[in-house]
Amino acid sequence: MSWSRSGVNALFLLFIFVLQEAAISKVNLPFGGFSIYLAALLGLMALEDRSGAIVVGFIGGLILDLSPSADSPVGKWAFVLTVVGYIFSTNRESIGDFTKRPIAFVFLTAFGSVITLLAFLIIGLPIGENNGSVWHNLATVLGNGIWTLIFAPILLPLLVKWRSATLTSRERE
Amino acid sequence: MAAGGNNRSRLLLIILLVTSLFLITLDLRGVSLTKGSRNATQSVLAPIQRGFSDFFSPVGNFFSDIKNFGKTKAEVKDLTAENAKLKKQLVINADVQGQLTKLKGVLNLAGRGGFKVVAARVIGRGSASTFSQTITIDAGSSDGVAKDMTVMSDLGLVGVVKSVSSSSAIVLLMSDPTFRIGVRIAGSQSVGVLQGEGSSHYSLQLLDVAGTIKHHDAILSLGSDNNRPFVPGIPIGYVSSVDHKNASLTQTATVTGYSNLNALGIVSVILQAPSGDPKDSLVPKPTPTATIYVTSSAKPDTATVNTTASTTAKPSPMPLNTTKKATK
Repeated sequence: MSWSRSGVNALFLLFIFVLQEAAISKVNLPFGGFSIYLAALLGLMALEDRSGAIVVGFIGGLILDLSPSADSPVGKWAFVLTVVGYIFSTNRESIGDFTKRPIAFVFLTAFGSVITLLAFLIIGLPIGENNGSVWHNLATVLGNGIWTLIFAPILLPLLVKWRSATLTSRERE
Repeated sequence: MAAGGNNRSRLLLIILLVTSLFLITLDLRGVSLTKGSRNATQSVLAPIQRGFSDFFSPVGNFFSDIKNFGKTKAEVKDLTAENAKLKKQLVINADVQGQLTKLKGVLNLAGRGGFKVVAARVIGRGSASTFSQTITIDAGSSDGVAKDMTVMSDLGLVGVVKSVSSSSAIVLLMSDPTFRIGVRIAGSQSVGVLQGEGSSHYSLQLLDVAGTIKHHDAILSLGSDNNRPFVPGIPIGYVSSVDHKNASLTQTATVTGYSNLNALGIVSVILQAPSGDPKDSLVPKPTPTATIYVTSSAKPDTATVNTTASTTAKPSPMPLNTTKKATK
């Protein structure tokens, strides 16, 4: 992935982050709410090549680490999402082009958000983080997965369109 | 070529993971660079959140309103007729009126306690991906707000200021699982520790072995050294159930909070507490309840009903209680 592509992705993620923090989190959705940022980031990771997914995961994680409401140490989200980016990229090669398999794309994004949040919680354990009761956290994680499943069919086509519009002719080849 | 690409991506993966771990280490060691980055983000986000707050305030509770749709369906017909009348009379924006009422309530409670406060509007909530329960308020260091100050609503404690920028602050809500506060029971003065559980219920553990907890006991903040982070005497909630396990050394209970943390519009940050402890003066006033006595008369199939007003020690946020006593 080129530097310019990384920059474009970073700006896009920054925009979605502001949208998440300023608007989406104001809506009191039941079962823990929806993270449009995580859905967009995972969608973007699924569309990138192997090193691209890792870099997007790292950049996306760093942006999420800046969230003023976050209680976790800076770098934790970057760590989790870099690993998730790597897992996404290795599975992408076996699944193929997601733009031709929209249902698989939606399910992978929703499943990915559940796995990412679970990984975030589990990694918090060795560094002594207290995130509350297991049931409450499970409800939040599963709720997020369900909301992602509901909203991803709207979000992901827009994401694919935006990405193909910002690709250079060299990147399209 | 494929093997070369794999090696490159693995090397990249290792470099980025090491960088992440390095950042985590810096943060855990308290390096100000990482802490400062979040404050900077907060400063940038606060004006945007404030702008979105005005737009999203009517739709914020849209989904919870949908849940109650079935219950209110029967009332829709009556309300539609009533609404037509009220529209003619409506001259003041309902949102502003609601905020004013909350502000009056907040200032009233603060005034009773003798606290010096600054009122603030809630402009944001912690996002779904952070697992911490926080709100963002539109008062910051320029208004005198500092870290570890107590935040309260018109009904009682809300939380504590976690971080501050010049024009906004992040408040850790008392429902957050990491939240702990020393409390005392109004009346008996038994001391305990209250912990957030991610909902409107909290767990209370008494520290006093001889102390007892009763249903509907009011819980107040105990206070901290120099009133930071908690000032004494702030109402927190009431005991909704007592755990009667014999195995534990001290008694535990579930406490229901007075403040509805999901519907916070206006809060106040306590800048300065009075020199003395307000004791139990901030415990919510008792609610009048109607007591109905049914007395059977000499004539068969007739009875006299006497209704008298009395007060119970239940806190005001609870619904009006009607106690029925029947004697034959």
